[in-house]
Amino acid sequence: MDIKQDAGNVFPWDGTLTSSDFFRAAHMFSDKWRRFNTSVPPWLWVPCLKRRLASSHEVEGYLSLEKTSLFKSSEEKQDAGSLILKEESNMLENEEPFDCATLGPESDYHEINHYDFHVVYSASYKVPVLYFRAYHSDGQPLLFSEIEKGLPGLSVKFLSESKWTFITQEEHPYLNRPWYKLHPCGTSEWMKLLFSTHKSLTTNGSTIEHYLISWFSVVGQVLGLKIPLEMLNCS
Amino acid sequence: MATDSPGSVRKVVVLLRATGDAPILKQAKFKIAGTDKFAKVIDFLRRQLHRDTLFVYVNSAFSPNPDESVIDLYKNFGIDGKLVVNYACSMAWG
Repeated sequence: MDIKQDAGNVFPWDGTLTSSDFFRAAHMFSDKWRRFNTSVPPWLWVPCLKRRLASSHEVEGYLSLEKTSLFKSSEEKQDAGSLILKEESNMLENEEPFDCATLGPESDYHEINHYDFHVVYSASYKVPVLYFRAYHSDGQPLLFSEIEKGLPGLSVKFLSESKWTFITQEEHPYLNRPWYKLHPCGTSEWMKLLFSTHKSLTTNGSTIEHYLISWFSVVGQVLGLKIPLEMLNCS
Repeated sequence: MATDSPGSVRKVVVLLRATGDAPILKQAKFKIAGTDKFAKVIDFLRRQLHRDTLFVYVNSAFSPNPDESVIDLYKNFGIDGKLVVNYACSMAWG
Protein backbone atom coordinates (compact mmCIF):
# COMPACT_ATOMS: atom_id res chain seq x y z
CA MET A 1 0.00 0.00 0.00
CA ASP A 2 1.34 3.40 -0.93
CA ILE A 3 2.28 5.75 1.80
CA LYS A 4 0.02 8.64 1.08
CA GLN A 5 1.43 12.08 1.56
CA ASP A 6 -0.08 14.13 4.30
CA ALA A 7 -1.68 17.14 2.67
CA GLY A 8 0.54 19.36 4.77
CA ASN A 9 3.66 17.99 3.14
CA VAL A 10 2.71 19.13 -0.32
CA PHE A 11 4.28 22.52 -0.68
CA PRO A 12 3.11 24.93 -1.93
CA TRP A 13 -0.18 23.41 -0.97
CA ASP A 14 -2.81 23.25 -3.67
CA GLY A 15 -5.88 23.27 -1.48
CA THR A 16 -6.74 19.62 -2.02
CA LEU A 17 -6.91 16.43 0.02
CA THR A 18 -6.29 12.79 -0.77
CA SER A 19 -9.16 10.49 -0.02
CA SER A 20 -7.42 9.08 3.03
CA ASP A 21 -6.80 12.66 4.21
CA PHE A 22 -10.52 13.19 3.81
CA PHE A 23 -11.29 10.12 5.88
CA ARG A 24 -9.14 11.43 8.72
CA ALA A 25 -10.34 15.01 8.36
CA ALA A 26 -13.95 13.89 8.44
CA HIS A 27 -13.51 11.97 11.67
CA MET A 28 -11.65 14.84 13.30
CA PHE A 29 -14.34 17.26 12.20
CA SER A 30 -17.21 15.17 13.44
CA ASP A 31 -15.46 14.62 16.80
CA LYS A 32 -14.92 18.33 17.29
CA TRP A 33 -18.42 19.15 16.12
CA ARG A 34 -19.84 16.77 18.65
CA ARG A 35 -17.74 18.26 21.43
CA PHE A 36 -18.64 21.86 20.74
CA ASN A 37 -22.16 21.54 19.46
CA THR A 38 -23.87 19.55 22.13
CA SER A 39 -27.31 20.92 21.41
CA VAL A 40 -27.14 20.10 17.75
CA PRO A 41 -27.18 16.77 15.88
CA PRO A 42 -23.78 15.19 15.22
CA TRP A 43 -22.27 14.49 11.83
CA LEU A 44 -22.13 10.74 11.30
CA TRP A 45 -19.67 8.89 9.13
CA VAL A 46 -21.40 6.53 6.72
CA PRO A 47 -18.96 3.99 5.31
CA CYS A 48 -19.50 2.76 1.79
CA LEU A 49 -18.01 0.12 -0.39
CA LYS A 50 -17.70 1.14 -3.96
CA ARG A 51 -16.15 -0.84 -6.72
CA ARG A 52 -13.37 1.02 -8.40
CA LEU A 53 -11.31 0.17 -11.44
CA ALA A 54 -8.16 0.02 -9.40
CA SER A 55 -8.94 -2.00 -6.34
CA SER A 56 -8.77 0.11 -3.28
CA HIS A 57 -8.52 -1.12 0.25
CA GLU A 58 -9.51 2.20 1.67
CA VAL A 59 -12.79 2.71 3.39
CA GLU A 60 -14.82 5.20 1.49
CA GLY A 61 -17.74 7.05 2.88
CA TYR A 62 -19.24 10.39 3.63
CA LEU A 63 -20.34 12.58 6.51
CA SER A 64 -24.05 12.81 7.06
CA LEU A 65 -26.24 15.26 8.93
CA GLU A 66 -29.79 14.29 8.34
CA LYS A 67 -33.31 15.20 9.22
CA THR A 68 -32.54 18.69 10.38
CA SER A 69 -35.39 21.13 10.36
CA LEU A 70 -35.70 24.68 9.29
CA PHE A 71 -37.77 26.79 11.62
CA LYS A 72 -38.94 30.16 10.56
CA SER A 73 -41.13 32.54 12.46
CA SER A 74 -42.03 36.12 11.77
CA GLU A 75 -39.61 37.14 14.53
CA GLU A 76 -36.76 35.75 12.55
CA LYS A 77 -37.28 37.69 9.38
CA GLN A 78 -33.94 39.34 9.97
CA ASP A 79 -32.16 36.02 10.08
CA ALA A 80 -34.38 34.34 7.57
CA GLY A 81 -31.40 32.50 6.20
CA SER A 82 -30.45 30.70 9.38
CA LEU A 83 -30.94 27.02 9.66
CA ILE A 84 -31.69 25.93 13.17
CA LEU A 85 -30.50 22.41 13.63
CA LYS A 86 -32.79 20.40 15.80
CA GLU A 87 -32.99 16.68 15.64
CA GLU A 88 -36.48 15.64 14.78
CA SER A 89 -36.67 13.27 17.72
CA ASN A 90 -36.45 16.24 20.05
CA MET A 91 -39.63 17.60 18.67
CA LEU A 92 -41.63 14.82 20.21
CA GLU A 93 -40.43 15.41 23.74
CA ASN A 94 -42.74 17.62 25.67
CA GLU A 95 -40.44 19.21 28.17
CA GLU A 96 -39.67 22.55 26.60
CA PRO A 97 -38.17 21.36 23.32
CA PHE A 98 -37.97 24.93 22.08
CA ASP A 99 -37.05 28.16 23.64
CA CYS A 100 -39.20 31.24 23.23
CA ALA A 101 -37.11 32.66 20.45
CA THR A 102 -38.00 29.90 18.08
CA LEU A 103 -41.62 29.29 18.98
CA GLY A 104 -44.41 31.63 18.29
CA PRO A 105 -48.12 31.45 17.74
CA GLU A 106 -48.90 28.87 15.14
CA SER A 107 -50.10 31.44 12.71
CA ASP A 108 -46.57 32.82 12.58
CA TYR A 109 -45.15 29.60 11.41
CA HIS A 110 -44.28 28.60 7.95
CA GLU A 111 -44.28 24.94 7.31
CA ILE A 112 -41.36 23.04 8.73
CA ASN A 113 -39.09 21.69 6.06
CA HIS A 114 -36.42 19.05 6.49
CA TYR A 115 -32.89 18.96 5.21
CA ASP A 116 -30.29 16.28 4.77
CA PHE A 117 -26.63 17.22 4.27
CA HIS A 118 -23.80 14.99 3.14
CA VAL A 119 -20.12 15.82 2.83
CA VAL A 120 -18.75 13.61 0.08
CA TYR A 121 -15.21 13.42 -1.26
CA SER A 122 -14.75 14.21 -4.93
CA ALA A 123 -11.96 12.12 -6.40
CA SER A 124 -11.79 14.31 -9.48
CA TYR A 125 -11.47 17.64 -7.68
CA LYS A 126 -9.83 16.11 -4.58
CA VAL A 127 -11.92 18.21 -2.23
CA PRO A 128 -15.05 17.68 -0.13
CA VAL A 129 -18.38 18.48 -1.71
CA LEU A 130 -21.61 19.37 0.04
CA TYR A 131 -24.67 17.52 -1.13
CA PHE A 132 -28.09 18.34 0.20
CA ARG A 133 -31.75 17.70 -0.29
CA ALA A 134 -34.87 19.14 1.25
CA TYR A 135 -38.35 17.78 1.69
CA HIS A 136 -41.68 18.53 3.31
CA SER A 137 -42.89 16.66 6.37
CA ASP A 138 -44.77 14.28 4.10
CA GLY A 139 -41.57 13.39 2.26
CA GLN A 140 -42.32 15.40 -0.86
CA PRO A 141 -39.17 17.02 -2.18
CA LEU A 142 -39.04 20.79 -2.02
CA LEU A 143 -38.93 22.73 -5.24
CA PHE A 144 -35.68 24.56 -5.64
CA SER A 145 -37.51 27.88 -5.41
CA GLU A 146 -38.81 26.81 -2.01
CA ILE A 147 -35.30 25.89 -0.89
CA GLU A 148 -34.05 29.27 -2.03
CA LYS A 149 -36.70 31.00 0.00
CA GLY A 150 -35.78 29.03 3.09
CA LEU A 151 -32.04 29.53 2.71
CA PRO A 152 -31.38 32.86 1.03
CA GLY A 153 -27.65 32.14 0.96
CA LEU A 154 -28.46 29.50 -1.63
CA SER A 155 -30.09 31.87 -4.06
CA VAL A 156 -28.91 31.16 -7.55
CA LYS A 157 -28.41 34.85 -8.15
CA PHE A 158 -26.20 35.27 -5.09
CA LEU A 159 -24.12 32.23 -5.90
CA SER A 160 -23.70 33.04 -9.56
CA GLU A 161 -22.46 36.48 -8.59
CA SER A 162 -20.14 35.08 -6.02
CA LYS A 163 -18.34 32.84 -8.49
CA TRP A 164 -17.02 30.69 -5.68
CA THR A 165 -19.52 27.97 -6.22
CA PHE A 166 -22.87 27.21 -7.80
CA ILE A 167 -25.57 24.64 -7.35
CA THR A 168 -26.14 21.70 -9.59
CA GLN A 169 -28.44 18.76 -9.27
CA GLU A 170 -27.05 15.38 -9.97
CA GLU A 171 -27.00 11.82 -8.81
CA HIS A 172 -25.54 11.31 -5.37
CA PRO A 173 -22.27 9.35 -5.80
CA TYR A 174 -23.40 6.58 -3.46
CA LEU A 175 -27.16 6.78 -3.23
CA ASN A 176 -28.31 6.79 -6.85
CA ARG A 177 -30.84 9.53 -6.31
CA PRO A 178 -30.77 13.15 -7.38
CA TRP A 179 -29.37 15.51 -4.80
CA TYR A 180 -28.33 19.13 -4.99
CA LYS A 181 -24.69 19.95 -4.58
CA LEU A 182 -22.45 22.96 -4.22
CA HIS A 183 -20.09 22.57 -7.12
CA PRO A 184 -16.50 21.94 -6.05
CA CYS A 185 -14.65 23.65 -8.88
CA GLY A 186 -13.67 26.70 -6.81
CA THR A 187 -13.01 24.88 -3.57
CA SER A 188 -9.28 24.26 -3.82
CA GLU A 189 -8.76 27.92 -4.72
CA TRP A 190 -10.57 29.32 -1.76
CA MET A 191 -9.14 26.69 0.58
CA LYS A 192 -5.69 27.81 -0.55
CA LEU A 193 -6.66 31.41 0.19
CA LEU A 194 -8.01 30.54 3.60
CA PHE A 195 -4.80 28.78 4.62
CA SER A 196 -2.51 31.31 2.94
CA THR A 197 -2.39 33.64 5.90
CA HIS A 198 -1.66 30.91 8.37
CA LYS A 199 1.47 29.28 7.02
CA SER A 200 2.07 27.23 10.12
CA LEU A 201 -1.11 25.33 9.45
CA THR A 202 0.19 23.90 6.23
CA THR A 203 3.77 23.29 7.28
CA ASN A 204 2.90 21.67 10.58
CA GLY A 205 0.80 19.10 8.82
CA SER A 206 -2.25 20.17 10.78
CA THR A 207 -4.01 20.93 7.54
CA ILE A 208 -6.06 17.79 7.87
CA GLU A 209 -7.20 18.68 11.36
CA HIS A 210 -8.40 22.12 10.31
CA TYR A 211 -9.46 21.45 6.75
CA LEU A 212 -13.13 20.67 7.20
CA ILE A 213 -13.64 23.36 9.82
CA SER A 214 -12.26 25.95 7.44
CA TRP A 215 -14.19 24.45 4.56
CA PHE A 216 -17.38 24.43 6.55
CA SER A 217 -16.97 28.04 7.64
CA VAL A 218 -17.47 28.98 3.99
CA VAL A 219 -19.96 26.36 2.90
CA GLY A 220 -21.99 26.72 6.09
CA GLN A 221 -22.61 30.38 5.32
CA VAL A 222 -24.39 29.42 2.15
CA LEU A 223 -26.71 27.34 4.30
CA GLY A 224 -26.89 29.82 7.15
CA LEU A 225 -25.06 27.43 9.49
CA LYS A 226 -22.53 28.69 11.99
CA ILE A 227 -19.48 27.05 13.43
CA PRO A 228 -18.98 27.87 17.11
CA LEU A 229 -15.79 29.88 17.36
CA GLU A 230 -14.53 27.63 20.16
CA MET A 231 -14.11 24.82 17.65
CA LEU A 232 -11.23 26.70 16.10
CA ASN A 233 -9.21 27.24 19.17
CA CYS A 234 -8.28 23.74 20.15
CA SER A 235 -5.00 22.77 18.54
CA MET B 1 -30.27 43.51 31.31
CA ALA B 2 -26.66 44.59 31.55
CA THR B 3 -25.70 46.26 28.33
CA ASP B 4 -22.98 48.81 27.89
CA SER B 5 -24.23 52.33 27.57
CA PRO B 6 -23.29 53.89 24.23
CA GLY B 7 -20.47 55.79 25.86
CA SER B 8 -18.77 52.66 27.06
CA VAL B 9 -19.22 50.30 24.09
CA ARG B 10 -15.92 48.72 23.38
CA LYS B 11 -14.56 49.47 19.94
CA VAL B 12 -12.50 47.05 17.91
CA VAL B 13 -9.77 48.09 15.51
CA VAL B 14 -10.18 46.32 12.18
CA LEU B 15 -7.41 46.16 9.60
CA LEU B 16 -8.53 45.25 6.08
CA ARG B 17 -5.94 43.38 4.09
CA ALA B 18 -6.11 42.84 0.35
CA THR B 19 -5.01 39.43 -0.88
CA GLY B 20 -4.52 38.11 -4.39
CA ASP B 21 -5.21 40.87 -6.86
CA ALA B 22 -7.88 42.56 -4.78
CA PRO B 23 -7.61 46.36 -4.72
CA ILE B 24 -5.93 47.90 -1.72
CA LEU B 25 -8.05 50.38 0.19
CA LYS B 26 -6.77 53.87 0.84
CA GLN B 27 -8.14 53.67 4.29
CA ALA B 28 -7.67 50.15 5.51
CA LYS B 29 -7.88 50.63 9.24
CA PHE B 30 -10.91 51.70 11.21
CA LYS B 31 -12.75 51.26 14.47
CA ILE B 32 -16.08 49.59 14.84
CA ALA B 33 -18.28 48.94 17.85
CA GLY B 34 -17.66 45.48 19.27
CA THR B 35 -21.35 44.81 19.38
CA ASP B 36 -21.71 45.31 15.63
CA LYS B 37 -22.00 42.22 13.47
CA PHE B 38 -19.33 41.14 11.04
CA ALA B 39 -21.89 41.81 8.31
CA LYS B 40 -21.14 45.47 8.80
CA VAL B 41 -17.48 44.95 7.91
CA ILE B 42 -18.46 42.95 4.83
CA ASP B 43 -20.93 45.60 3.70
CA PHE B 44 -18.31 48.29 4.21
CA LEU B 45 -15.89 46.38 2.04
CA ARG B 46 -18.48 45.83 -0.64
CA ARG B 47 -19.28 49.53 -0.81
CA GLN B 48 -15.64 50.59 -0.81
CA LEU B 49 -14.69 48.17 -3.52
CA HIS B 50 -17.93 48.46 -5.47
CA ARG B 51 -18.23 44.75 -5.59
CA ASP B 52 -21.03 42.60 -4.31
CA THR B 53 -19.08 39.46 -3.95
CA LEU B 54 -15.95 39.13 -1.91
CA PHE B 55 -14.23 36.32 -0.17
CA VAL B 56 -13.58 37.50 3.38
CA TYR B 57 -11.58 35.60 5.99
CA VAL B 58 -9.46 35.97 9.08
CA ASN B 59 -5.99 34.69 9.86
CA SER B 60 -6.96 31.33 11.24
CA ALA B 61 -8.13 29.84 7.97
CA PHE B 62 -11.68 30.78 8.79
CA SER B 63 -14.39 32.75 7.06
CA PRO B 64 -16.58 34.31 9.76
CA ASN B 65 -20.33 34.15 9.56
CA PRO B 66 -21.76 37.65 8.98
CA ASP B 67 -23.84 37.13 12.08
CA GLU B 68 -20.87 36.94 14.45
CA SER B 69 -20.28 39.96 16.61
CA VAL B 70 -17.04 41.79 15.99
CA ILE B 71 -16.01 41.60 19.63
CA ASP B 72 -16.28 37.80 19.62
CA LEU B 73 -14.15 37.64 16.51
CA TYR B 74 -11.62 39.96 18.05
CA LYS B 75 -11.44 37.83 21.18
CA ASN B 76 -10.79 34.71 19.14
CA PHE B 77 -8.66 36.05 16.28
CA GLY B 78 -7.39 39.46 17.31
CA ILE B 79 -3.64 40.04 17.29
CA ASP B 80 -1.74 43.09 18.57
CA GLY B 81 -4.90 44.93 19.41
CA LYS B 82 -6.58 44.51 16.06
CA LEU B 83 -8.68 42.17 14.00
CA VAL B 84 -7.12 41.53 10.61
CA VAL B 85 -9.71 40.85 7.94
CA ASN B 86 -8.40 39.55 4.64
CA TYR B 87 -10.38 39.90 1.43
CA ALA B 88 -10.11 38.56 -2.08
CA CYS B 89 -12.23 39.30 -5.06
CA SER B 90 -14.24 36.77 -6.99
CA MET B 91 -12.13 34.69 -9.23
CA ALA B 92 -13.20 33.86 -12.71
CA TRP B 93 -14.04 30.33 -13.63
CA GLY B 94 -11.48 28.72 -15.89
